[in-house]
Amino acid sequence: MNKCAEKEVAFFGKITAGITHEINNVLAIIKESSGLLEDILAITEEDAFPHKDRFKKILNRISGQIQRGNDITTNLNRFAHSPDYSPASVDLNEVAEQMVLLASRFARLKNVILKAGHHDESVIIKTHPVALQMALFESIEIILDLITSRGKIILFPRKTDNQYVVGVHFEDTTPDDIVIMQSISSCDRWESLEKTMVYLGGTAETDDSALEILLYLPNSIDK
Amino acid sequence: MKKRILLVDDEKEFADTLSERLRTRDFDVTTAYSGDEALEKLKEYNYDVTILDVQMPGLNGIDALREIKKLKPLTEVLMLTGHGTVETAIEGMKIGAYDFLMKPCEMDVLLSKINNAYERKYKHEERIRKAFTEKLSTSPMSVFK
Repeated sequence: MNKCAEKEVAFFGKITAGITHEINNVLAIIKESSGLLEDILAITEEDAFPHKDRFKKILNRISGQIQRGNDITTNLNRFAHSPDYSPASVDLNEVAEQMVLLASRFARLKNVILKAGHHDESVIIKTHPVALQMALFESIEIILDLITSRGKIILFPRKTDNQYVVGVHFEDTTPDDIVIMQSISSCDRWESLEKTMVYLGGTAETDDSALEILLYLPNSIDK
Repeated sequence: MKKRILLVDDEKEFADTLSERLRTRDFDVTTAYSGDEALEKLKEYNYDVTILDVQMPGLNGIDALREIKKLKPLTEVLMLTGHGTVETAIEGMKIGAYDFLMKPCEMDVLLSKINNAYERKYKHEERIRKAFTEKLSTSPMSVFK
């Protein structure tokens, strides 16, 4: 990435992180306000308020949505801080989990389930966090473009024979899996993914039998 | 006696609502909307626990914490943090804060931390009282020095 692009990404990250703080403050005020209503309901006599149960139900719904909003802002904040240090040490398990949360809406729009398979141990490498997330997202998008509705995409980080890999595996509901695999490396986005992987010092490959895009990464990148 | 809480947060609506919730749980709560206002209130009154937002305009949480500890070393401080400010809260704990909480926080977690902080302050005060009594019994004239 050139200096100007780095500055742009850093600027974008800084502003986004600041906004997540603001949203978080809004959520905190809504949480305490609905909590106060719950407190008042709890000390109100049953007979004095005939709609007590309906209010409780609605307050529970608000509470659930606050939690949801909080999870979203937490992930967005983490994402916004990705360009703070580059290269930086990252755990591929955590990156995969975070990517699942960030990309879940794109998968949901296609009725596709997105999951992260967790490696037993930490899989730590020194890399460019933003570019790594881009590579994962590009892989997910490539599969989303080809997969049919109700399929499944699973991100599998792993370390084998001193190789660091994130497998982007898919399961489709149609028997055309192999056809999809064959069309992956000829699609327009593949070239872009390969460029991203070159920047990361790695490669992108496909494994037709395992139905996976394999992202091979070096354990450390210096610049 | 009610536990005395000073709640410091520049988000006025957050501070007001949370303090009202704590009052319904029988705490004696005062609010301050800046670090400077908190210090003024601490000069006038003794609080058991201060709940302090890490990120505030003007005197920030860490500077406010340093001043609070200078002014009222026995007052326990809970740091309120948001995203990306956990490191600041950890720094705060190194310079004397009792613990930290992520915002928005669950009421039961907040209550548990307030009660634990209060317990620590109470035990600390007890030890000081005991030391003073022992000193008085061994050397009664020392109190006039």
